[in-house]
Amino acid sequence: MSRSRRIAKEMQDAQADPQSGIRLEMVSESDISHLKGYFEGPPGTPYEGGHYQVDIEIPSDYPFKPPRMKFDTKVYHPNISSQTGAICLDILKDTWSPVLTLKASLISLQSLLTSPEPSNPQDAEVAKHYMADRRGFDNTARYWAKVYAGADGGASATATTPAKTPDVFELYGIDRDSVKAFESMGFDQQRIVEVMRRIGIKKVGADGVEDRILEELLK
Amino acid sequence: MSDASDDFDDYDQGSEFDFDEESFGGSDYGDNEGFEEVKPESTKLKAYEVEHEVLSTAGIQQRQDSQIGQVAAILGLSRESVMVLLLYFKWNNDRLLEQYTEDPEVVLKKAGISADDDSNKKEYKIMSVVGFMCDICCEDRQGLETFALECDHRFCLDCYKQYVTQKIVDEGESRNIQCPGDSCSLVVNNEGIKLIVEDRVYKRYLTLLNRTFVQDHEHLRWCPAPNCEYAIRCDDVSAKDLKTVVPTVQCACGHRFCFGCGLSDHQPCICILVKKWIKKCEDDSETANWISANTKECPKCMATIEKNGGCNHMTCRKCKYEFCWICIGSWAEHGTSWYNCSRYDEKSGVEARDNQAKSRASLERYLHYYNRYANHEQSAKLDKDLYLRTEKKMTQLQSTSGMSWIEVQYLAQASAVLQQCRQTLKWTYAFAFYLEQNNQTHLFEDNQKDLEMAVEQLSELFEKPIQELAGLKVTVMDKTAYVNNRRQILLEDTAKGLHEGRWRYQVELK
Repeated sequence: MSRSRRIAKEMQDAQADPQSGIRLEMVSESDISHLKGYFEGPPGTPYEGGHYQVDIEIPSDYPFKPPRMKFDTKVYHPNISSQTGAICLDILKDTWSPVLTLKASLISLQSLLTSPEPSNPQDAEVAKHYMADRRGFDNTARYWAKVYAGADGGASATATTPAKTPDVFELYGIDRDSVKAFESMGFDQQRIVEVMRRIGIKKVGADGVEDRILEELLK
Repeated sequence: MSDASDDFDDYDQGSEFDFDEESFGGSDYGDNEGFEEVKPESTKLKAYEVEHEVLSTAGIQQRQDSQIGQVAAILGLSRESVMVLLLYFKWNNDRLLEQYTEDPEVVLKKAGISADDDSNKKEYKIMSVVGFMCDICCEDRQGLETFALECDHRFCLDCYKQYVTQKIVDEGESRNIQCPGDSCSLVVNNEGIKLIVEDRVYKRYLTLLNRTFVQDHEHLRWCPAPNCEYAIRCDDVSAKDLKTVVPTVQCACGHRFCFGCGLSDHQPCICILVKKWIKKCEDDSETANWISANTKECPKCMATIEKNGGCNHMTCRKCKYEFCWICIGSWAEHGTSWYNCSRYDEKSGVEARDNQAKSRASLERYLHYYNRYANHEQSAKLDKDLYLRTEKKMTQLQSTSGMSWIEVQYLAQASAVLQQCRQTLKWTYAFAFYLEQNNQTHLFEDNQKDLEMAVEQLSELFEKPIQELAGLKVTVMDKTAYVNNRRQILLEDTAKGLHEGRWRYQVELK
């Protein structure tokens, strides 16, 4: 009972404050336990200009238990799964407090985009990319924002599939020439990309890396 | 449950261990609140016993209270605050006092206590505030009951109650229940919790507190027997002593266990060896048996080989060495003629057999100890059965021989002694397995042999038909006393040896 009252109030508050850039919507009128949240990618980050949609499930003992949130929009970020959109954020787990709100959580998500914590990653592949090659990471993250989150007037906010077929090299931050080199040996492009992603290599340069990829390709 | 000491003073309902005089004298079982127990002089501890005390829930509570009172007096803080502090410092007085004297404010803050605690302590109150709206449920009706800690993060009582209840019941938290306010680390103390939640939840909270109290104290341990609610206090033993002591304690429920590792009584074997032994048995025993019976090792690379058919000209799959299955010698020395292994004394064959004999011997040595260990373990498992049969025998004896109840108790005694001795014997084999062969070990093995012989004799007597048993009362009683005595001698000597560092082990103790 207190739960529906509280959620209604939270929705009202969010509506009354458009300045915050946070929007909350019910998925269906009859179900208050399933919401969608929307916010913009924070300026000064690779996510700038992107429109992000977050799926919000509200447990029955809310607000004593935290809401369950995950990104619907694909995001390239160390603390967000690039596959499922699952989020690693402390206030959605142990440090949740019943006085926190959906709006506050979404704002926290927004600031998570600004300051990733690669030492506590949700997506190891992305985190590795972030740590090893910050510039490459930014490019890939920006590309994802463009393709999936409609930055630069690209796709719409709700797109889970990109507006155009994305470029795999940009998408995974993998060096085009390195893949070409293996392609010229007669391997399938898709397979090369898959192997390089799996073992976390973006570019062929250092000694031994090439052999390692070849070894995997020949398995 | 009645006072723990009742169970032991009252002979009728005592467990099967009651008669065991050593366990009477050895320790103090009561949670004797309020009265002193008079100890007879003969209660001097034997070398293999450790002083311990059984604590009931009330006893644990009492110790908690007294520790809190003690610290409160030193620090001049309220009992509630001291409790929060002690919980934060895991009931470690010294660490708390040291850090507190260094910087009281920081310690209070870290533990989650408001700093103005001692000066003007406000009593917690449930009250209604005009124009209040609860931040959790958004309720704002007039006369709403609310609660807040010193931090003034005020919420309605229902929400507070639900929050605290969830922490206690769902998450099992008692140490650190913080104010629900965002990033407020003030702790809701005992007084606050009592005020807010229902009795049922408060009881649960106290149980959880007791649990953390026992877990935090090095010298306290819960009795591991199922459904047993007692804890044991044993002050003289700490983790580093476990190489020289086997601190066996007995709970008021009758369960005997090792205070060091929590496993059931494993005297005279020390914890470290017990762990090694159990692991070895899990890894090895059955496999080792089969290997011993069905295989030989390649004389070159020691790979274990099963011969599942074919001729005796073996070629090792692993190292390609060719050898003769019968004499284990190199096949080259057998020539190319058709097989006839009469070449028993060939050099390579002798060497190979030597090597093989060594590895077999170590396996057989293990199996020797394991089989005896397992045998006593098996017998120990039949204990319950044996005891039930004893009871039946006792009733039969009462009706056939006209003996009274008290007169047939010797059988119960004999049965219990048997059980305990088998438990001890079992672990002597694990212990002996790790001992180096020297004179000390021979003495140990002699003691072991004496005990084993005596146990088997008593066991045999015990199996006698009911008609004969009545006439054997004195014999059984004598034997029981003798067996028990042998056990004590063995334990006493081993314990002294441990203490003096007399035993030499084949393995490193780590």
